[in-house]
Order: sequence, then C-alpha cells, then structure tokens
Amino acid sequence: VSAPHPARLGFRDVGEQPGVARVVDVRLPAGDLPPWDLDSKLTVVGGAVDRVDAVAKVTGRARYAFDAAPPGLVHAAILRSPHPRARLVRLDLSAAQKLPGVVAAVALKQAGNRIRFAGDELAAVAATTLDQARDAIEQIAVEYEVETHQTDWLQAEGAPQLDAEGQVLDAWPAGGEAIDQALAGAAQQRTATYRCEVQTHSSLESHGVVAWLKADGELEVWASTQGTFGVRSGLARTLGIPEPRVRVHAEYVGGGFGSKLQPGAEAVAAALLSRECGKPVKLMLDRREEHVATGNRPPAVIQIRAGLDAGGRLCAWDYRSFGGPGHTGRGGGTTMPQHYVAQLPRDRRRVQQVDLPSDTDPARAMRAPGRPQGFFATELMLDELALAAGIDPLELRLRNDPHEVRQAEWRHGAARFGWAERRNRAPGEPRDGDPRVLHGAGLSSAFWGQMGGPGNRVLCRIHRDGSVETRNGAQDIGTGMKTVMAMLTAEELQIPVARVRASMGDTQDPPGPASGGSTTTPSLSPTVRLAAARARQKLFELVAADLGTAAADLTLRDGRITTPDGNGVTFADACKRIGAEPIEAIAERERNYDGFQDFVCGCQFAEVAIDVATGLVRVTRMLAVQDCGVVIAPKLAESQVLGAMIQGISYALHEQRIVDHRSGRMVNADFQFYKISGPADMPAMEVVMVPVFNGKNNVGAGGLGEAPATAPAAAIANAVFNAIGTPVRHLPITPDKVLRALSRRNGG
Amino acid sequence: MTDAPSPTSFSRRSFLKGASLAAVAGVVADRASPAPGTRPGGTTYGPGSHELELVVNGEKRKVAVEPRTTLLDALRDRLDLTGTKKICDRGSCGGCTVLLDGQPVNSCLLLAFDAEGAAITTVEGLERNGELHPVQRAFVDCDALQCGFCTPGMVVAAAACLQRHGRPSLEQIRADLAGNICRCGTYGRVFEAVQRAAAGGGR
Repeated sequence: VSAPHPARLGFRDVGEQPGVARVVDVRLPAGDLPPWDLDSKLTVVGGAVDRVDAVAKVTGRARYAFDAAPPGLVHAAILRSPHPRARLVRLDLSAAQKLPGVVAAVALKQAGNRIRFAGDELAAVAATTLDQARDAIEQIAVEYEVETHQTDWLQAEGAPQLDAEGQVLDAWPAGGEAIDQALAGAAQQRTATYRCEVQTHSSLESHGVVAWLKADGELEVWASTQGTFGVRSGLARTLGIPEPRVRVHAEYVGGGFGSKLQPGAEAVAAALLSRECGKPVKLMLDRREEHVATGNRPPAVIQIRAGLDAGGRLCAWDYRSFGGPGHTGRGGGTTMPQHYVAQLPRDRRRVQQVDLPSDTDPARAMRAPGRPQGFFATELMLDELALAAGIDPLELRLRNDPHEVRQAEWRHGAARFGWAERRNRAPGEPRDGDPRVLHGAGLSSAFWGQMGGPGNRVLCRIHRDGSVETRNGAQDIGTGMKTVMAMLTAEELQIPVARVRASMGDTQDPPGPASGGSTTTPSLSPTVRLAAARARQKLFELVAADLGTAAADLTLRDGRITTPDGNGVTFADACKRIGAEPIEAIAERERNYDGFQDFVCGCQFAEVAIDVATGLVRVTRMLAVQDCGVVIAPKLAESQVLGAMIQGISYALHEQRIVDHRSGRMVNADFQFYKISGPADMPAMEVVMVPVFNGKNNVGAGGLGEAPATAPAAAIANAVFNAIGTPVRHLPITPDKVLRALSRRNGG
Repeated sequence: MTDAPSPTSFSRRSFLKGASLAAVAGVVADRASPAPGTRPGGTTYGPGSHELELVVNGEKRKVAVEPRTTLLDALRDRLDLTGTKKICDRGSCGGCTVLLDGQPVNSCLLLAFDAEGAAITTVEGLERNGELHPVQRAFVDCDALQCGFCTPGMVVAAAACLQRHGRPSLEQIRADLAGNICRCGTYGRVFEAVQRAAAGGGR
C-alpha cells in the first residue's frame, strides 16, 4: 500500500447552494491511481459526447439477440401451462414432432413435476418458421392433475386483515413498547396503510436467445441479457459443457430493468433444442409470455405508524411491509428511505417484512427493487404528518434528512421548481381559479447505496494507427456503458472519443459484472481508466529511449507526449512505433477507496393537474436533482434520470397486472390493457445533475439505474395529495381511486 | 379516417381509431384489390408458402411467405431487415412502424400479401447516400434513445410526422407519436429531436 494520497473531495456549488469540499487522505492499493477530485482538470469527462452506438441504433443496424440470424436458423416456441397449480401427469410430444417444418421438440417438465403458475414452461418446439413452431406446440398432448390454486396473495395464510379502506386491522407485533410510548407523547402521530400493485418489467426486447450448439461441441449464444457471464455459466452447467466452450454475445440489449439477470428457461430450452437439431435455434418470448413468465415488481401492503415531536422531527417510526412475491415466497420486500429515521434511537424505529406466497409468477429484481414502494409509503406518510402539523413538506425533509449533499439538492431543487409558488396552500381547493381542475405539487427524496467493486478486468489496446480499443465482456443494456468506457479511455489517453472503440457484450472479452443494482458503471469505470493508464505506460516505454528520458518522466496531454525539458512526440507519431501487434494492457483492481461518501442521492419534484369530474391525473411538470458521483457523460446521465422519472409516472398512474383469480391468469398481458406511459402522458421535465467527487475509486463514478427510480411515484402521490387534500394510498392512482378519495373528502 | 390524406391510403392514427383489422383489410383491399388470401383471378393461396414481390426501400425483393405471414415477419425473417422491431406484435407499441406508400403503418398488423405493390420504407431505407436522415441525426444529437429497441419505430414515425407537418408543433408530435411506446423513457428527448430535425429543414 502506497502512502495516503490527499484528495480534495466533495461537490461544487449547486446553483445558489454552496458546495462542500474536504481533503481526504485516500489510501491507494498498490498499482491503482489516485481518484479524480475537485482539482482535476478533466477535458473529456463531463463533456457533451454523443452515445457511441447511437448511429447503429437509429439506423436499425444494431443487432440485438432478437435480430441474430446465423445460417440455418430455426424458430422455437414454448408450451406453457394454462393452470396456475397442477401436477403434470403426461406430456406427449409425438404429434407435434410429425408436423411440417418441425425439427426438434423437448420436454421442459417431466410427468410428476409440479406446475407453479399459469405460464409455467412445459415443452418447447423448433421449426422452420415461428408459425410452424406455434402450430406444433398446440399439438402437444398434456394431461394435468389440476389442484386448487390461490393467486390472490392477500388471501394467503398470514396475510393482514384489511378494512374497507384498505387499512391493516391486525395489531402491531410485540416489541414496540418504546415506539408506543414515543407516539403517546408525540405532537403529531398517525397510522396508515399504503398499497402497491404488480408492475411487470415490460422490456421492449423480450427475453430470449439464439442458441447454437455446433458439431464441434461449442455453444454460441446471442442473448438478451443483463449478465453475459451468468448466461455462460448457467448454460454451461445445465448442458454439461465446459465454460470456455460457451460464448455469449449481447452487443445490444433491448432493456432489462432487473428481469434479465438469469439465463431463464427460454435460454435453456433453446440450447436443448439446438442440441437436438444441430441448428441455431431462436427462442424469443412474445409479449404475453413476457408479462406472465419473466418476473415483476411484486405487490406490497405497507403499514406505518409514526410521530413528530413539537420541533417537527420524527420521534418514532414503525414500518411493516407485506409482500406478494409469487410462488417462491421470497423477494417481496420493500425498502424505505432509511435516511429519515437512521438518527432515531434503535428502539424507536422498527422495520419488518413478511412475504406471502401465492400461485403466481415469481418476482424478480426490478429497478431499485423494493424502493419505489417503500419510498411511496414513507414520503406520503411524511406529507400526511406535515399537513397535520402545519409544516411545509420541504421544511419537514430539511429537518429530518441529515445528508449534506441532499440538503443542497433539496434547497436548489425547491428554488428551481418554484416550490413555494407551485405548492397548493389550500389542499383540495382550486389553486388557479378553475374549480374543475385541482393542482398540487409534491416531492420525494431519491437514494441508492451501492458503489460497485472489483472482480472485473478490462483490456485496452493501442494500435499503430493511433486508434484505441477498450473491451469488457459485460453488457451495455442501454445505460451508455460503452460511451462511458470510450470517454474514460479518451480522457486518460488525451485523444478524441472518436479514436476509441468500446466493445461490450462478448464473453471472449475480459469478465465484467451483471448489470444489476447500479453497479456496472462504478465497478468497471476505474478498471477502464487503469487499463488505459497501463497501455499509456507501455507506449511511454516504447518512446522513452528515443526521447532520451525515462518512461516515468513522460506526460501525455492534448495528444502530445512530453519530456520534462519540453521535448516530445505526438501521440499519433508515438503509435507508429507500435508493431503489427497492438499494445495490450489488462487491468484489474483490488478494492474501492474510503472516499467522501458512499451514497447516490437526489430529490424530485412533481406537479399534477387533476380533473375532478373524471378523476384523471396528469403530471404536468417534474424536476429531478440527482448526483451519481463523477458525472462522466452528462447527456446520457440525464437521459437515464429522465427515463427513471417516466417509468415512475407510469408506475404511479398506470401500471397494474390484473389477475382473474378464478382462472389464476393475467388478463391484461399485452400493451393495450397493461398501460405504460406513452408520448401523450409526458410532462415538461428537467434534470439537474450534481457531480460529486466521491473518491470511492480512481474515477469516483456512481451508478444511476436505481437512485432516480426511487422517487417519482412518491413525489407524484404527494402532489396528488396536495391537489385534492386527501391521500390516495394505493398505486396506481387511477381515476376510480381519485374519485373515491374526492367523494370521501366531500363526505360521500 | 379524418386525417387520411386521400381516400385510397390510410394513416396509422386513423388506423388506430378504426381499431379493427377488418377496417385495415378493407382499406388495403381498396388499394390493392384482392381480398385476403386471394390474388387477381380468384386464386386461393395457402397453406404453404408462395412467392410474392415486395418493393422495399426502392428495391424489388422476392419473398416466399405463407398467406398468414405478417409484413413484419417477412421483413425480419425473410429479408433480414431486422431494424424493424417486433415488440407487442398486436399494434399497441409502434415498434414495427414502416412507411407504406409514405404512410406510417404497424407492419405487424398487415399481411405481407397485402403489402404487395406498395412502396415499403423501413428504417434501413431512411439514409440517403450514406447520410443520416435529419430525424436520425437529431436523435443522435439529442440522445433520444437508450436501449434503442423502440428507436427504429420512433424514427420512422417521426420521419412521417415531419413529412406530414413540415414544422410540427409539440402537440402534433405527441399526437403523431402517440402509438409508439418506449420503456426506457426517451419521449421528451424524442420530442426535442423531432423539433430539432424540423428546424433544420427536414427532408
């Protein structure tokens, strides 16, 4: 370990809000680089750079797994159970195998196996065309022993009793005596139940692969995945093929949002079919399958009791969450914004979680798993307390949220949004004169805590023509990681971004992380920079003797390699010394640094207009103030925050899986009746990025997938509350719920 | 059919308003004459594949398809024009938008047989002499894409919007793109891109 490196870490002024800077002695692992800090002169990072694969995407040249078409391609479809709960008695593929065009058929379940949800996989068929494959699966003979099902998770054993208003009736569990006491003495106290419905990931590229098990035993796969290396190891294990003989491609991925972290039954089925027919097999799910069999954000019922002291500070917090994660009975947890309660004494805060199984498709991680639900419940409870106490919701946040970055973000966001003016001071009353439309404004904090880590490698190549490659085998699922890699390499080598080719999505390249939990950027970025620095060092070694100095004394700036006495050579001329084989450097890093702070923070503001006759809520304006460590590619970062806000509008107002509990099947498994926000639903939106030099590694970038997704539904729900004067505690906030709330408020 | 520019063509908006396959088949039949499954002369086709000629991006392409094959599947699986995306396959997402005689249509709701004789433009056909279409350029400049899977459909619909309005208002852009959905949430930047392309003169 080298000597501590003093770095000036923190953030610059956010508009009128003063920044924070602290000199931190960063302990560097051997061979790693000091972190960029407030004094770093960055020329590429933070600049306006176009997404490096944008042209491929706008021209249709980008080839996704859905578009892969190796020679001899055949198409496959999966037969799924219509019954949510059954035992498979007989599965006979023979009639299907005889149909025209059919080249392979495999059973995915055997007689005696259990069927756990409507949509569970039974068998798969490959044929010359997809229509033929679909014809064939209809000819598979299946006998079931159908069992009684329960798809309504709130009817499961252990489910809470709810009253007509959806409020939990069950007594609070024992052990909350200190909370009871604190609430008894609180200036304000409140108990309420909040509820969220199932949201499906609805990635536009469905799950699936093209799998080709070749005669030589190599398995080549084009996968729509968030984890190329996970698909490789999963298929290798399932098919008994050594990992090095499996190659997975995912150069472009049409969204994932957490649902594509595992190979999935569809990838296994395609590989088995290819083993049978020897041809490349394409198995991409259709939209119905995508809704019913690839996971979801699970439903939740969250009850909170909380109190404020006379100073408007939280004095007790009791939070219990019931989740309905499907038949596995695991993964239904919600997570609240801990920053409001972390400073309470331990015995005056409690968070409990109960998962209740039901015969439905299991939950999967979905963008900030558990948080949009927990933030919605918590932030709405805070606004209910604020209204009761006569405190402005912003002021309540400022008093209860100690985070130094978010304090600046709250204040700046409020000023920029016009919080004081746009807030409805008489909730439920027309703000702008017209009694037919109620207006309101709401806010929410945003948060994510994961900062990535080591365990990946990056390859950097410098070619004799001066072009540079940076390569990692993980995937860019649309976040812009390839662009980030190109920019970091260009920064370190002081060359234009256009001279760098960033490659991702091929397991022949060095290993990288699965894209989950906002870890790809923070994990890979410092390795990318380190690989570029090592390649530069090799280039220095190539020219140092000719320049009459030691490689260690050379510097590279603005495309020129310079000696201490001012001699030098351009980067391009130096590269001409490289032979036919490029310079190659592979970097791996040891650990993160202590740095300035661990968190990605932010806040969001939303304004709504509600038609009191129809109950229709329109979000009219939104603002996000968001940090994510060093902001490498601002244009792309803003895109990602905007996207999280839009997904949040959709979650807040539209999205809901509807299950017919008699049949146990989802009845809106399409894009007509499962509504996701469209162009007509868009408000005016703005994003303010706050770069924080966090010193967590040599780059100090944080991930941005999750944090901005935690806040929007909460901010919108608070805006609705501010508009109509009564909370709608059940997402999505559809017109029927708004009308019921208005009717209740009016004494109906 | 209020916004159809002529009685023998149709737009995707009118198409969605009509909201039935029958309406589409009827309109297409007006233009191309044959009833579904038949060709002039009353021949019955199917089951099995038959060859037809599609005019795609200015080129005549022979393609063997079953009568039930959609234009989308013919483009993607027979002609390897994979820029046009299959997302919902039910006319609810706009990912498969192509131009049929200049009008945006959902190619998943149209049989390949019924597209015979029409000029079909896919996203691959928008570039001219290696230059991006102004809408494509503006999408890049505005970062109006993330995962990119809805992007080809958005780009084609946006090109049609420009063609139709010249300098569309924000409301016209929203209305013309209303049938295109994006899960990453790029809408605002798509609106900016269309306005930027329009300001630059379009094509």
